[in-house]
Amino acid sequence: MALSAAPSTQDVVVIGGGVTGAGVARDLALRGVSVLLLEKNDWGAGTSGSSTWMIHGGLRYLEYDWETTRLSQEDAGHIVDIARHLVHRVLFLVPVLPDDPHGIEQVETVMEVYDRYQPLKHAHPHVRLTTEEMLAVEPGLARDLVGGVTVEEWGVDPHRLAWANVLDAVEHGARALNHARVTSLIRDGSQVIGVRYVRDGAEVEARAQVVVNAGGPWSPEIAGMAGQEVRLRPAKGIHLVYDRRVSNFVISAEAVDGRDILMVPHGPITVLGTTDDDFFGDLDDVEVTPDEVDYLLQAVARVFPAIEHLRPVRATTGVRPTLYEWRPIEDRLSRRHELIEHRHAPGLLTITGGKLSMYRLMAEETADAACRRLGVQARCRTSEVRLPGSESEAPTAAELASEHRVTALGAANALRRHGCRAGAVLQDARQGRLVCRCEHLAEAELAHAARSEQARSLVDAFRRVGLAAGPCAGAACVDRAAQVVGRELGWSASQQVDAAREFLLGAWLGRAPLLERRGWAQEEMAYAGRRGYTA
Amino acid sequence: MSRRTSYIRLAGAYARHQLRRRLRRRPGGDVQRLLEMYAPDRLLPLTEAERELLPAASACINCGLCALVSARVSGLRPSDLAAAYLRDYPLLESAASDLAGDSAPGLREAAAACPVGVPLEGVLAMIRRLASA
Repeated sequence: MALSAAPSTQDVVVIGGGVTGAGVARDLALRGVSVLLLEKNDWGAGTSGSSTWMIHGGLRYLEYDWETTRLSQEDAGHIVDIARHLVHRVLFLVPVLPDDPHGIEQVETVMEVYDRYQPLKHAHPHVRLTTEEMLAVEPGLARDLVGGVTVEEWGVDPHRLAWANVLDAVEHGARALNHARVTSLIRDGSQVIGVRYVRDGAEVEARAQVVVNAGGPWSPEIAGMAGQEVRLRPAKGIHLVYDRRVSNFVISAEAVDGRDILMVPHGPITVLGTTDDDFFGDLDDVEVTPDEVDYLLQAVARVFPAIEHLRPVRATTGVRPTLYEWRPIEDRLSRRHELIEHRHAPGLLTITGGKLSMYRLMAEETADAACRRLGVQARCRTSEVRLPGSESEAPTAAELASEHRVTALGAANALRRHGCRAGAVLQDARQGRLVCRCEHLAEAELAHAARSEQARSLVDAFRRVGLAAGPCAGAACVDRAAQVVGRELGWSASQQVDAAREFLLGAWLGRAPLLERRGWAQEEMAYAGRRGYTA
Repeated sequence: MSRRTSYIRLAGAYARHQLRRRLRRRPGGDVQRLLEMYAPDRLLPLTEAERELLPAASACINCGLCALVSARVSGLRPSDLAAAYLRDYPLLESAASDLAGDSAPGLREAAAACPVGVPLEGVLAMIRRLASA
């Protein structure tokens, strides 16, 4: 393997481009620290992207620590402030059934306490509803309720949130490389002084005074490169994804083992999950089993029977980096995070555990520790500086559509991804043509993802701009998409064919566990369209 | 704060809750307040008829056969209705200009050609209702 001739030198190298690692890089860049951020796959492709896509305020913490709830709510409020175009309100309907362990008075009591903290994240208080009112709001609910309550949280696209943090870090001087796998840590005695990583087939050295391990479930592996132990209890979680909003409201359900299961609408999709099981396998090869699918659907069907008649289009899976603890069942494990300053490997910091909602705070604590080592006095500004796209008022979808000759639906989708920068993204009016009709994705936006948002594959484009996230899963658009992305990245014709085939294979792997759930018609169409690609 | 303290505080909150419930009216009548609260976010309820229509509408696989049969609907392919528009209800108000006009020729024929039985006329009616509600 070739070694790059020019190793880089910076203050900090951050390993891991999930939302936490991206947040650390942004935080440090805003303080004027030179940073290199490395991600072995794509931004937000690991645990961040396989979450339930929510910034929530820690309702469950009321059971054991109200102060943690307050802190969670406060930080959720910061994220809402800085990422206004990326977040949306999600309104939970919490149905109470006659045999539920907690009666409706107990459930409402908890919501009343939670209401005290809701203003911290700009959320409305709860509302209590009778059975008839619950059914008026959502006619798909079961009829045997005793009533229900509402509670509000915020939804977010974690892929866009991770990318917005990366982009802001880069705009403040950081370097950020996806598809760059760290192979070893460089050491001087016990001191960690940098990393070696592989990108595009070449191994490169990057020296730094501080190396931050934000590898999520992979963080024990990274710490192991310096002979350090990080103990986690990794937990596998799967989600089912529907190609549309099943409901305008979050449906809260209880699984057969008493766990909470959520069905959450996010933009044009619905995410249903999650499972929570100890995981001992290969972190890079996590499969969804039919049992897990049945477990989730059984839970939701109990309060929302309509779910049985709808078609999930894919399943996602990921592994949470839960902190190690012996004895509690998975669901009772704490979601707290831990910052480890490795005494026997000076220069290495590990940030692990935690949850999406706390990413900014985790990043702040980590950046504070890095700055102490560097002697940097600058304070954290990530709760006040808005992320790219939220800096100013965005135009309306109609204005954007008329100016750039795209559909209003396409413009509205672009606004949700790019906020006030959507006009610049769509500025090439000659590319007003749609490439993905399920998403009404304009060619200009897809080309921009490849040119300016580090989308280096069609799967990256799926994360960045929702390519092929709709009902046909790419069967109708993947060839054209490969041409658009290939034109930007200099792919040959055969590379475009390979990219399309790779994308469809990945899409099939996510769809295979769901074929018995009304999935065969779509599969037949996809197969018919791709016969030319089979060996 | 320990778990024990949290439980004690929750017990106190529960006692206050029960007291308030005895002093206040019976539950009910708050649904309008709820819907007004979330109207700016376009979080609207589906009607019972729309809820029943949704499984058939969501069977769409965007194969495009309907587009071969039917004229365009306000300049859009009929396949766009279920494959793109009937996915994100809060966005429909912003996208309403795409569906301006009443013209929708040939939707019945397009629905007849659909291999998975998407009721296109019902889908268009649902989209228009949610866009203007």
